Amino acid sequence: MKSIYGKKLFALMIGASAIAYAGPSAMAASAQAAAEPVKTFPTSLRLSPSQYKQSIADVFGESVEVNGRFEPELRDGGLLAIGARTTNVTDGGFQAYDEIAREVSAEIVDPQHRTLMGCTPKSDKKRDDSCARSFFSRVGPLLYRRPFSRNELDDVVKAAGQGADKLNDFYSGVRLTLAGMLISPEFLLRFKKMEPDPAHRGQDRLDAYSKATALSYFLWNTTPDQELLDAAKSGELNSREGLEKQVDRLLASPRVADGVRGLFADMMGFSEFEHVSKEAAFFPNYTSTIKQQSQEQTLRTIVDHVVKRRADYRDLFTTPNTFLTIDLAALYGVPLVDTTDNGQPQRWIKYTYPEKDPRSGILAQAGFTTLWSPAGRTSPTGRGKALREMILCQIVPPPPGNVAFNFVEDTTNPNLKTTRDRITAHRSEAMCAGCHKLTDPQGLALENFDSAGQLRQRENGVVIDASGEFNGVKFDGPYGLAQAVRNDPAVTSCVAQRAFEYETGYTPPKNDPQWKQIQDSFAASKYDVVALLRQIALSDLSYTSPTKTLTTASK
Amino acid sequence: MKIELNRKSAGRAVARAAILATVALPFVLSAKPASAETRGYVISWFATAVNTKDYKTDCPATASGTEKADDDSGPRRNDVALVDGKPVSSRSYPGAVQKDPGLEMIKGKYAYGFDLGGPAKNKFIDPETGLKVDNQVWRAIGCHSNFAQRPYPEKPYTEALGWDALIDSSPGWAMQISGADLSKDGPVTITLDRTLRHLERDANFGVRSKVTYAIDPAKRSHNVLQGEIKEGILSVKTGEIFMVADFPFYTQIDLTNTHMRMGADPDGRISGFWGGYTDWYAWAYLYTARPAAADPVAYYFNLKKLADADPDPATGQNRRISTTWRMQAVPAFLAETDGKIIATASSEPIGGIIQQTPASAEIRKAQK
Repeated sequence: MKSIYGKKLFALMIGASAIAYAGPSAMAASAQAAAEPVKTFPTSLRLSPSQYKQSIADVFGESVEVNGRFEPELRDGGLLAIGARTTNVTDGGFQAYDEIAREVSAEIVDPQHRTLMGCTPKSDKKRDDSCARSFFSRVGPLLYRRPFSRNELDDVVKAAGQGADKLNDFYSGVRLTLAGMLISPEFLLRFKKMEPDPAHRGQDRLDAYSKATALSYFLWNTTPDQELLDAAKSGELNSREGLEKQVDRLLASPRVADGVRGLFADMMGFSEFEHVSKEAAFFPNYTSTIKQQSQEQTLRTIVDHVVKRRADYRDLFTTPNTFLTIDLAALYGVPLVDTTDNGQPQRWIKYTYPEKDPRSGILAQAGFTTLWSPAGRTSPTGRGKALREMILCQIVPPPPGNVAFNFVEDTTNPNLKTTRDRITAHRSEAMCAGCHKLTDPQGLALENFDSAGQLRQRENGVVIDASGEFNGVKFDGPYGLAQAVRNDPAVTSCVAQRAFEYETGYTPPKNDPQWKQIQDSFAASKYDVVALLRQIALSDLSYTSPTKTLTTASK
Repeated sequence: MKIELNRKSAGRAVARAAILATVALPFVLSAKPASAETRGYVISWFATAVNTKDYKTDCPATASGTEKADDDSGPRRNDVALVDGKPVSSRSYPGAVQKDPGLEMIKGKYAYGFDLGGPAKNKFIDPETGLKVDNQVWRAIGCHSNFAQRPYPEKPYTEALGWDALIDSSPGWAMQISGADLSKDGPVTITLDRTLRHLERDANFGVRSKVTYAIDPAKRSHNVLQGEIKEGILSVKTGEIFMVADFPFYTQIDLTNTHMRMGADPDGRISGFWGGYTDWYAWAYLYTARPAAADPVAYYFNLKKLADADPDPATGQNRRISTTWRMQAVPAFLAETDGKIIATASSEPIGGIIQQTPASAEIRKAQK
């Protein structure tokens, strides 16, 4: 039996929802947003795979697994969170959502998990509207992140009953109905419903449920919990005190680590790991395990630094503190003793490098060095470009269409033994030199890390020259680069911008006083990222439309 | 009729471990010389040192088809084993098989090995060193298809199966090389132990380099040997080894009159050969106890006939047989269970020069 929703219906529902919540002019705004995707306020944001998974886990329990391949996300303006404003779903993407929804709903009603439903039907073979109503009235608001109307509840109970009647199975009815809810735009898209702001005549603001949703995905990377939905329902979120109370509650929870992970995984471009592979003949120590662990190492380092230690964000680039597994330690060439019983999974163990060790800081980690290197060689240009764009929020122009990469890609040239030799030869072409000045001096400082992230001193028998330059500061080696980056003001302004964009889906207006206040507060906190998240979460700027092009549903 | 039981060799192993634990161990620990440098390794490739380069010369009857080396897992030629006149499993009671299956023995001149002082009539010529060497295990089983590996020199089929079945779960073997300056010629101490955890794989399904392994504090697999590095070759010419392993790979590595010859690869790996005398019955047990492809009864008969050391005072039957394994080890950090690092992982070649022996080249070829 097919899902009760089809792709055409999905598209209709997206349109209908947008009209219902934001008014017809929102449609025009949405089209405009596609042309200028970063500067306008989005009407909706699509759940990322991690948000989808975490939402399911929070609504139905950690034991419910979400498997399957999601439609690839779109990175826009440096973040997937900005690309998430698209409401387009390809045929393949819809099919993927459908398959995942069917599997998840089947899992929830299987004999192992059906106790999660919270009620037992009088008969497995027949409809039980009472039990279905009890179940959907609980999970509906959590999935849709807003109250479930009586009509909506009646509709799903009816659908579940019809399914049960047709298949002579109560759980099949629930399964099919739930699968339909999971491919509904109400679940897959986080709508930003606007309403008139009574405090500012003529201005719009997010309604309380949209605000609760934005807060929850920003700070916990998941769907709002019942307390947050209750705060939205009571109007608490519309007051400064009420908002502060909820923001501080969310930030006080260990789950803020999930929000920080979501932000930095996006900012660091970890979705690109899907495309990373290394030549096993050259880099036998780079395995699929390392690929996963290198992302986890960086995220653990970040969470430890900014959440647990509440340390200065800038020091993340020089910190000697990190976490390793025995496989990662082997990659970096350092000893790490794991006395876990044989057969148990590898543990994450705290590790501190000696002072000024070249492996200090997140730029030296495989989460960065391997991500921006091709399979068989390093790419100082790729690493430098990533540093500029991901960490500093700067734009590096793409290479011209007719550029030749002969010098760079030919690692067998006996006259160009090192990457520095090859890239220097490449830069001798005038059309290439301009942009490479932006990227290579930083990327070359990371040449002590090969494509697989392993520390090396030589390349083809030649001692590596890892000297570099950044903003007029000359240095030698990865630690020197880390110090230079740490001291660049763009580092802190960039993370503030990314955090704002991650929550709202658009770039903050640079000259807005509220934005300036957020940045000043960040500096005053000695670049405490949690304090930054709090400022953004409390700022009206996060919940009002700067373009004022949106109309409200009531209008 | 006398039936030889496995507990015989097991008993020797237990007794030896007990002696180590109560008497020898304190001496060994205290006698270990202070060294300026200790490098760590784990054994990453280990197999019988096959030498199947000229099969027609080595095994003319089998090669020409006049004899058949049986590949089947079932009993060879309907072997009949009788105990007290009653038929029994030939694998469980290989000594009770009534007729020697007559697996052809190696006729050729060449085999890897070491000069263990055996009689001149038993000598092979080592293809790598050109020296006269003892390796009766190879003579006994080399004609069987399990060991006549083509393409050369894959691990023997059953050893490859066992290794791959255990590498992800069974603790590994660790080796420390200690010396005043391992970049130069000089005397060294080789210490062998078992690790607590299994080995970690690399992307080629080999063994990952530079992983840290904690050493098993139980000392029954603890061995200390003296050797020397000369012109990049690490050699050992005396000593005993007993290391526990797991079925269906070797259950133990048990060597007397131990010899080793190892050289350095460019990436810090070392490879070479370990040889000496081992318990022939324990060796045969690896196959009689396993249901997979092999010809255990034939191995049993040949090994028993060709055993060349340690005669039983009562029967005169030799209890040990000369053998040689090919090995490779990758650099590893080694630690005690309290976290103290006792050996570092180094990519530098032992002796300061790369001595990529033919053995290492052959292992690399087999790994591809």
